[in-house]
Formats: sequence, structure tokens, C-alpha cells
Amino acid sequence: MSRPVFVLGAGAHPWGKWPDKPQLQLAIEALEAALQDAALGWRDVQGLVAASSRFEGGMGWGLHANEVVQAIAEQGMACVNVGGACAAGAIATHTAYSMIASGELDVVAVLGAERMPKGFIPRPPGSAEDISDHDYLRWVAIGATNPAYWAIEATRRSHAYGTTDETYAQAAVMMRRNAAGNSLARFRELTSVDQVLASPMVSDPLRLLEICPVSDGAAALILCSEEFANRSSKTPVRVAGCAVATGQFGDPARRIPSSSSNVLPGVSHTSEVALAVQRAMKMAGVRHQDIDCLEMADNTAWHLLEWPEIFGFFAPGECDEMLLAGKLGLDGELPLNPSGGFLSFGEATTAQAVLQICELTWQLRGEASGHQVPDAKIGMSAVLGLGANGGSVVLSSQ
Amino acid sequence: MTIAPTAVAEGLFEVVDGFAHLIGSRCSGCGTCYFPQALSCRHPACHNKFIQPVRLPRTGTLISFTVQRYRPPSLFRMDDWQPYAIGLIALGDGLEVMGMLDGVQLDSIQIGIEVTLLAAPLFREGDGREVLTYKFAPREAA
Repeated sequence: MSRPVFVLGAGAHPWGKWPDKPQLQLAIEALEAALQDAALGWRDVQGLVAASSRFEGGMGWGLHANEVVQAIAEQGMACVNVGGACAAGAIATHTAYSMIASGELDVVAVLGAERMPKGFIPRPPGSAEDISDHDYLRWVAIGATNPAYWAIEATRRSHAYGTTDETYAQAAVMMRRNAAGNSLARFRELTSVDQVLASPMVSDPLRLLEICPVSDGAAALILCSEEFANRSSKTPVRVAGCAVATGQFGDPARRIPSSSSNVLPGVSHTSEVALAVQRAMKMAGVRHQDIDCLEMADNTAWHLLEWPEIFGFFAPGECDEMLLAGKLGLDGELPLNPSGGFLSFGEATTAQAVLQICELTWQLRGEASGHQVPDAKIGMSAVLGLGANGGSVVLSSQ
Repeated sequence: MTIAPTAVAEGLFEVVDGFAHLIGSRCSGCGTCYFPQALSCRHPACHNKFIQPVRLPRTGTLISFTVQRYRPPSLFRMDDWQPYAIGLIALGDGLEVMGMLDGVQLDSIQIGIEVTLLAAPLFREGDGREVLTYKFAPREAA
């Protein structure tokens, strides 16, 4: 049997570049904010699940939860560190959810905190330099950067559905418009289609302002059992669905860092995320039309158009007109990334999926001042990580 | 004395009688072909996973592309760097391969054209040895 799990607290450190704050400090500030939001203290926390980063902290072993408790709460709590690259935050949430749903613990914190290296992300130490290492091959043989992979998808979309450069630009403009009212976002200045189109071409057809940069940031959640949630004065936000998945054979996605795909008919694009979304929706018992806002990984403007279709919100190719008709805005049919998304935050890899769930919590409580979706009751997150990791969470205030 | 050119990674492709071939793996259990060479077949419906090296088809159809407008990190070596196209090529039986495009105008690449594999120089080592990668070129130009 499993029992209901609630989000009691959400907290985040603003996204940006924070050269004077170590990753551990970002982590602690986000956790303290989440605890304050939950009106709990460290003494109440029975477990901490952290998304493991490979960039900073974690003693070289991804022990980010252990590092936090050794710094601030040496009280014997259960620490779990999970890998999942850019999806690690969602997987950490899933782990914490399970620890409470199983009846094992009542209060578990979730953490994703990241300081990203400057410039290109370096290869992990000890990586092979031969054909067994796909990341090595994509660099030496093809010179394929991450934006090149997404751009190949975008070219394909333009060819299939006639998506224009202006439509991609409009998607980026919408993210800035949402972020303008979100004090946690790093890029909050409004842009215009002309400004986006005037930004340098990176990988045709994607331009600089249509591709997310990297940032430093941290986000944390306090999950709890119903007993604890009932003591809170906040609007109760329930974890209605929570799922992780990996990719399916035959998926047509050009998956970083591979050089090829084996494509089979009938297999979803970005199947790891599509599967996680399907599972989370099924678990929550919600239909597409029930979802009031979607927070999803927009590494590029292409993602904003393609992913809602992959998840089944719209027919293939339909998202362009939805966007242009304003139906993806804060007061639209499917508000998309009310936070401003990766395009306005910059990706702080392991922290990003935790931030998505924080954002949904604030939306469902009606606390997302400046970027609130009117009357939001059910929200869904979706994220993708290296290694074909997908994660999705459905929150409900009903 | 001329030093013979080498491939940018051993086992990625080979040039035989002047013709370049990508080297992949074929599963004798289910017939799936992989690129580059794989450790195992990963088809979930295949229960007889036995793979062998295979030369992949030399021609295919361009199904998408991009132009890499800025220089990648230094792991990618290319003499006289300038923006280049990367294509996605369907080689048949569901296998889609990424590779640099050769012999195309960057502003007028057409999806749907037939392309052929070739081995082309990327850079020259200090000892004069040319290092080759695989590329795809429009069929008439190859």
C-alpha cells in the first residue's frame, strides 16, 4: 500500500552566476528557504535526497546530501544521492516520494544545487578516447555540439510542419515574458521577435536567444506525509503522480551524444520523457485537459513546440498555431513554463527539475506573484537527462 | 616520404579500393544494424543477441541537417576552420546516422537528396600525417 505524499515546502536560490558562493552554500540556502516555507526546522527532517552533480561538491562521489548534513544537520538522517544528469532532480523527487509513500519516513527533503563550469562542459576524467565512447566520437568525427543535435530536430520540424524562424523566436519571446515577473529567473528583460532573430545564428535554424545557456542555481523541496501536511496552514499540494523512465528502442530522437539512431515506426520521440509523463498522468488519474500548467525542459525554442505535441497535448505540428494564438501564455489553454523556463533561467543541470516542482507548488498555492497562472489546480513537470533519463511529476491542490 | 592518412578514430570507417565504408555491427539474431560498432544488440524483442562487424550502406537520404556556426571545443580538430554542415542520413532499415556534409552550399542544402559516403581530411598532424573523418556528399558530387 502506498500513502499520499504532499509538498510542504519549496525554496530556491535565484539563478545566475555566483562565483563567490560555493555549491554547498547555494544548496544550504535553498534548503533553508524550503524549510522556512514549510515552517519546519532541520530537526524535523528525517531524510535528504540529493541530485548528484559531477561539476562541484559531493566529495567527488556525488555525495551531495551527505555534504549538506555534515555541514548543517549532523543528526543521523538517511541520505540518498541519485544520478540522472539533467533529470536527477526529478529522480531525487521520485525517491523521496517513495520513501514517504512507503510509510518509511514522514518528512524528506529534496535538493538540486549546481554551479556550472565556464564555457563548454568538459568530458569526465578517465573517458575513453575510442569508438566505445560516443561523446568522444561526436566531437572528433562530427564536431557536433549540443545545439547541433537540437538544431537537426528543429530543421526536421520546419521541413515537416513549416515551422518558421519567427515562430521559434516567438517561443523564446514568450519565455522572457513569463520570466519578467519571476524574481528567481536570471534573464528577465523582455525581448522581441526581431531581437531574437537578430541574435547570432548558433546552429541553423537556432539562434543564441533560442538556446538555454548554463547558470548556477539551487532548489529544494520538503515532502511529507498527510499527517504533517494537515498541520500546515498552506494550501495542501499533493504529489498526485510521480514517475521516472528511460528510453525505448526505436526512438527517433537524435540523442546526445550518440552519432546514430535506430528508428522504428510507432515509437515516441524522446520516449524517456513521454513515458514518464504518461506514467505520472496515469498515476494521478488526470487527462490532458485537466492540466493547468506545464513546466518542461526547454533547452531550446524547438522543445517548446515539439514536446507538448509529444506528450499528447496537441496534434503533431499544431503547437505553432497554439503559440501564435497566445494559447500557451499564462492565461491560455495550456500555460507553458510560467516560470520562464530554461531559456530564462539558464540550465543549472541537477537543480532544474527540482525548480520545476517548486514552481508548480507556488502556482498551485497561488503564490507565483508576477507570473501566476489564474486558478491553477493541477500542474505537471517534464524533464530529460543524459543517459535517456526522463522524469515527470503531477501536483494537485484538489 | 608521405605518411599514410589515418582515420580520426580506429574502427569507425575504412577505405577499401578507394571507397569509404562506415563500420557498424549487425545482430545475427534480429538483423538490426548499429553505428558505431556496438557491444551488444539492444533490441528488446531480440533474445539471440550476437553481433558481428558489418560494412554499412554507402549511400543514403539526407533527412535533416544543421550548420555549425561556431567553433566546437578543442577536442574537435579541423584545419582552416570554418562553419560546416552536419547532416542526418537515413541509411535504410531505420538506421539514421549523423555526419559532416561535404560539397554542399551551406545556405542551400536540400532535405531529401541522395548522399554518398566519403573519407575526407579534417586536419594534418605535425608529422604531416593527414587525419580523415567520414562525410556525406551529394551523390552527383561524390
